[in-house]
Amino acid sequence: MRRALTSFAEAALPFIVVGILWQAFSLFGPFPQKLFPHVETIVATFIRLVGNGILLIHASSTLLRLILAFFLAALIGVGLGIIIGRYQWAEDFLLPLVSIGNPIPGLAYAPLFVLWFGLGNLPAVLLVAFAAAFPIVLNTWTGVKAVKEIWIRAAQAMGAQDRQLFWKVVLPGALPHILTGLRLGLARAWRVLVAVEMLTSVRLGLGWLIFGAREFLNTDVMLAGIAVIGLVGFLLEKLAFQKLEELTLVRWGMMEA
Amino acid sequence: MNRSRTRPVVGALCSVGLACLIWEAFARSGLFAPVLAPSVVLIGSALGRMVLSGAMVKHALYTLYRVLFGFILAGAVGVPIGILMGRFRRVERFFLPLVSVLMPIPSLAWVPVFILWFGLGNAATIALVFYAATFPVIYNTWTGVRSVNRLWIRSAEAMGADEKALFRKVILPGSLAFVITGLRQAFARAWIAVVGGEMIAATSWGLGWVIFDSKEFLNTDVMMASLAVIGIIGFAFERLIFYPIEQRTVARWGMVRAVKG
Repeated sequence: MRRALTSFAEAALPFIVVGILWQAFSLFGPFPQKLFPHVETIVATFIRLVGNGILLIHASSTLLRLILAFFLAALIGVGLGIIIGRYQWAEDFLLPLVSIGNPIPGLAYAPLFVLWFGLGNLPAVLLVAFAAAFPIVLNTWTGVKAVKEIWIRAAQAMGAQDRQLFWKVVLPGALPHILTGLRLGLARAWRVLVAVEMLTSVRLGLGWLIFGAREFLNTDVMLAGIAVIGLVGFLLEKLAFQKLEELTLVRWGMMEA
Repeated sequence: MNRSRTRPVVGALCSVGLACLIWEAFARSGLFAPVLAPSVVLIGSALGRMVLSGAMVKHALYTLYRVLFGFILAGAVGVPIGILMGRFRRVERFFLPLVSVLMPIPSLAWVPVFILWFGLGNAATIALVFYAATFPVIYNTWTGVRSVNRLWIRSAEAMGADEKALFRKVILPGSLAFVITGLRQAFARAWIAVVGGEMIAATSWGLGWVIFDSKEFLNTDVMMASLAVIGIIGFAFERLIFYPIEQRTVARWGMVRAVKG
């Protein structure tokens, strides 16, 4: 019990220090309070926005968009990655395109997507899916390539057909890399989504909430929105993927917990 | 140049050429209005025009200035913090919770706040790049310092290395692979941040700004030309700067297998 308490105090300490610094800066710093609100104002705004459900609506519509886009990206990315990994002609043709497209920030396409698909949800989801697909393709490709040759040969020697070979050997063997790719893709999707919501003017969404609050100088609302964004990103990483890894790779003994 | 080096280049050129052909067919198919999907010729001539008039060069230089300023700042702050975190438990306990909470916040979520704090223009964008790039540097440097083989440290100590020699001869080279990975990730993030920052914290120069601005005038050819420049610069940084650095240091010391491709 006491150990739990001290470890909690240790974890809380940095946040308390930063809170005090923030408060001091907001009291004595060069910025007016409107631009750099007190800690208690931010907390009060946060509680108010959670209480009347505004943050919840914005967060859930952002999440919905994220899930849609991510599934699209995962479907296309893993499929394309496997094709590139399995067939030489696909690798020759597609791999250079993917590695040139990968470093272009997804956001740079935003104005183009707006022109093509209009404002609102459609360009946002498509753009996020597009941006998230790149790391998924590259990692799936690496994973398929990294499957041990000896496993494949052993399976073939035991008379596995192409289909069995794929489902029983190639796919599980490539899974650590695929999961890494999905993880990177989700992180990228999350980062792009927040910005895209600012540019394609969706109705509801955390990115839009922050951007809209700027117009009214509601710095406290903006900071409360940022806190929620950080929290959601943190939870996505911790809960979704660590669980998935425990259930698959660690259990199969391909990775240590 | 032997054959094994030229072959991937030729292959890449072929596939880019083929992709251009497909795009050209798509642009001429009339699925989208020609204004929205310009042909390769139009994009190429827009690029040529802007490079010759010097506008594209100026846009690119502004963007590079912002991204490098923020990136170098992030390296100068992130590497020492990461090293201190890896070496001292106290520092680690203080910074680690902060880093793991701040890292998942997309840098672009801060744009509206930074605009209010720093105004439009260079300062807001550089602050944004700095925010985006610092955390991957800290995180990877910290991991790198912790993963230095205990045995190396102990044997250096047994041979009478003092704290300074230990740091410069063992810990720094030992963690370098991770530091370089961190810088690489940081640059990729900084590159995203600078384009987004320029779009929203509008100035009058910069590659992100020019894309966003040409949307207003439906100059799709200019947008595509700027996209190409953004891609080329990002690609060039990866290939011409990070890859050779890795080759000269950690790959040569045999700490990572050189990755081809």
